[in-house]
Amino acid sequence: MSAVIKTTTPFVIEEVLLEALTAVGAEPVRIASLNQQAVRHIGGLLVGDILTNRSDYYGPQHFRFDGKRWILRHDSSEMNGRISSMLAEKHYSNVGRFLGEVGSAYEVAYQGYVARIAEQERIRLEEERKARVETTRQQAIAKAKSQGYSVKETTNSKGQIQLVLTRMV
Amino acid sequence: MPEQKITLTIDDDGAITAKTSGFKGESCLEALDELLNLEGVVSSVKKTDEFHQQLTQQTTRFQSLKGKS
Repeated sequence: MSAVIKTTTPFVIEEVLLEALTAVGAEPVRIASLNQQAVRHIGGLLVGDILTNRSDYYGPQHFRFDGKRWILRHDSSEMNGRISSMLAEKHYSNVGRFLGEVGSAYEVAYQGYVARIAEQERIRLEEERKARVETTRQQAIAKAKSQGYSVKETTNSKGQIQLVLTRMV
Repeated sequence: MPEQKITLTIDDDGAITAKTSGFKGESCLEALDELLNLEGVVSSVKKTDEFHQQLTQQTTRFQSLKGKS
């Protein structure tokens, strides 16, 4: 016998997983101490678990972080598999198919996540740069004044700061 | 009374270009070092015609003083 298997996309970033689950209509809900007791699951739920609107014999199928990635916890036989949603009229699909859909949505969400991170980093670097220029400007002015220069500040044609320092000797 | 003038241009990355006038010889570099702490941060120094002229004048004066003694 031979077999070919494909593992699911490793769901490692919670924010991205939540976005992917929303995209596939799984209506994710994060378990917090406030709603932990309100949801019944035979195996128990932990704060931090992410519920989906898919249920089986044990209760709502949910993702739990194992320290490296988020794993879907579900009844292996998917007994009594159903969608428990007041909002969506969706048909239950098996876990493999569901994870495939989430995996595709995760990859899309991940691209957006990377772009957001890149933009945040760009903004951070730009703010650092402006702060560096301002510090240089202030230090130069303070030092020049302490050495008896009078300081006139302008900007040149490139928009750069220009300090003209003069003193009589 | 002679005027010493330094024009500092701060570029978009915070690097400074400094141009001096009214200083005698190496004193312009000394003045810039006092102002900007140049140790280890200068990428290029371009001496102007004025710098060389003043240096030549100083050297000439120094030589003529030596010639007198």
